[in-house]
Amino acid sequence: MKKAILIPTISLFLICLVAAALLGAANAVTEEKIEQNAIATEEASRKIVMKDAVSFGEKEEDTYTFDGTTAPYSCISALDSDGNVIGYVFITESAGYGGKISTMTGIDTQGKVTGVEFLEISETVGLGMNATKQTFKDQFVGLIKGITVNKNTPGENEIKALTGATITSKATTKGVNTALAIFEEKYGKGDAVNG
Amino acid sequence: MAEKKTLRQEFTKGLIKENPVLRLVLGTCPTLAVTTSVVSAVGMGASATAVLVCSNIVISLLRKVIPSKVRIPAYIVVIASFVTIVQMIVKAFLPSLNDQLGVYLPLIVVNCIILGRAEAFAGKNKVAASAVDGLGMGIGFTAALFCMGLIRETLGSGTFLSGIASINSGSGFAIPFLSQNPMLIFVLAPGGFFVFGLLMACANKLAEGKGLPKAELHGCENCPMANHCSIKDKENCESNEEEAAK
Amino acid sequence: MSYSKELLSILVTYILTQNFILSKFLGICPFLGVSKKLNTAVGMSAAVIFVMLIATAVTYPIYNLLVATGLQYLETIVFILVIAALVQLVEITLKKYIPSLYNALGIYLPLITTNCAVLGVVLLNIDTNGYSGTFANFGRAMMCSLGAGLGFMLAMVMFAGVRSRLESCDVPKFLKGLPITLVAASLTSLSFLGFAGIVENMFS
Repeated sequence: MKKAILIPTISLFLICLVAAALLGAANAVTEEKIEQNAIATEEASRKIVMKDAVSFGEKEEDTYTFDGTTAPYSCISALDSDGNVIGYVFITESAGYGGKISTMTGIDTQGKVTGVEFLEISETVGLGMNATKQTFKDQFVGLIKGITVNKNTPGENEIKALTGATITSKATTKGVNTALAIFEEKYGKGDAVNG
Repeated sequence: MAEKKTLRQEFTKGLIKENPVLRLVLGTCPTLAVTTSVVSAVGMGASATAVLVCSNIVISLLRKVIPSKVRIPAYIVVIASFVTIVQMIVKAFLPSLNDQLGVYLPLIVVNCIILGRAEAFAGKNKVAASAVDGLGMGIGFTAALFCMGLIRETLGSGTFLSGIASINSGSGFAIPFLSQNPMLIFVLAPGGFFVFGLLMACANKLAEGKGLPKAELHGCENCPMANHCSIKDKENCESNEEEAAK
Repeated sequence: MSYSKELLSILVTYILTQNFILSKFLGICPFLGVSKKLNTAVGMSAAVIFVMLIATAVTYPIYNLLVATGLQYLETIVFILVIAALVQLVEITLKKYIPSLYNALGIYLPLITTNCAVLGVVLLNIDTNGYSGTFANFGRAMMCSLGAGLGFMLAMVMFAGVRSRLESCDVPKFLKGLPITLVAASLTSLSFLGFAGIVENMFS
């Protein structure tokens, strides 16, 4: 009786052990490449959201609670050729329709958005994925904190929702608003343009 | 699998006669979910084929070592490991495909084709036959996905091969007329069910011409979990046959 | 948006607009296989809700443990094993202590191990709510699972009704059986697209 339990248990345990070891090895091989990919996309996107920047400072990572959701974010300062800070680039996360949306937002020293890019997005093809089109992303440029979504005719500091994908539009806006809120809390210069 | 089959027969049966999607009705979730474009459909097919061939080989090698009591958990561990490895490779070398497949890439683990072949074939047959069986089934799966993807992408987005960065910076070849007036419904969920239904009707029509039975959910024999399932308890099975069609 | 209102909005969203079967294509096999009769459809979906909730409650802390030890890459293999073990455990417990419930749900339990809806909800929860592992996020994850499960049940029950009507219809020969079922599923899914606007306006 004991043997009948022992042998299957041991063999299953051995299979798990070998599988875990193999996965560890595979991870060690691919991890670096995956990280490099992420860094490469990040660097390319950073240049898009903050076109005037010549170089970037040190990346800081932390978590922030916005609208009841706690999520990690990262922040990096953008520098001009003289080394002066001309703005900050934030990476924030929000929950979209199909999963996590990771948004990169560039903010100048006045608290205005300079550009928005997606690092991770997996929304519905044909609806939510339209968020990655340039016309949608460009709507954010020049807006300030507290951006809202409008389904018909966007007014001041509003963006027009994507047809049939309000959840995606709101999630993106939440990501950008989170970045703006962190900016104000950390660097506190957004008051001048408030309202 | 009573009669001996040649390796060639093992390979070709998965392509048409026992096509996993259109004839055996297995792996329906990815068939519907990732076929919004040809590239993601073929990407999913290739990933699943890789997992299927590798897991079939390993399970066939271990078929005498694994005690039959813990057979299913052992198969799941083997399959899940290969899925994770494939996921890592896709993430590292084809990051855009990883974005397109999203959560459906790790979900290959519960694709019933893979566990089904492990239980029905690889656990009972020699290594070479299992490998060839996996390859045939995988290619059959990929071919069905390709058809779905081709129809849905052409009609729904009016493009062909979108998602490959080197073609029109990722937006694919535009198809005249359709690209200005895409029938969006085809890339949405209802279009998926609709195209799948019609494809299956075509497959049935072709099968009828060859005197083969129609594709149906076969109940117990189709289900990888059948041996562990209490519905199967003898007399219950017939009356509740459709329950087991997992 | 207050936390409780947000939870409610998650619940309704997952039941109607992000329906696991009809818009995310997760759990299609039982949807096509078990929806022929109303009582089996209800039994199967009740078992799915049950397992989804337990699986989320268990895998959520495990994921945070994996993150803490830097072993995230093991998530798929760990989750599927946890689900398989849980299903077995639930089956044995029910059989021993609550036989009446076992008779109602038990027979569907083995089928659930390989149901992609369960692994799907666990993975999606980790993706959208997994970060930082706060208690508020855990609540969201549980609400997603409940909504996904109830949505699964709604689709199954509705479709059982549609199928019983289909039985008596005269359809072209080669469309009979699965093809016409899939076309019917397409129309059901189309009707669910219409909910998107309702949910958005309810909670905005």
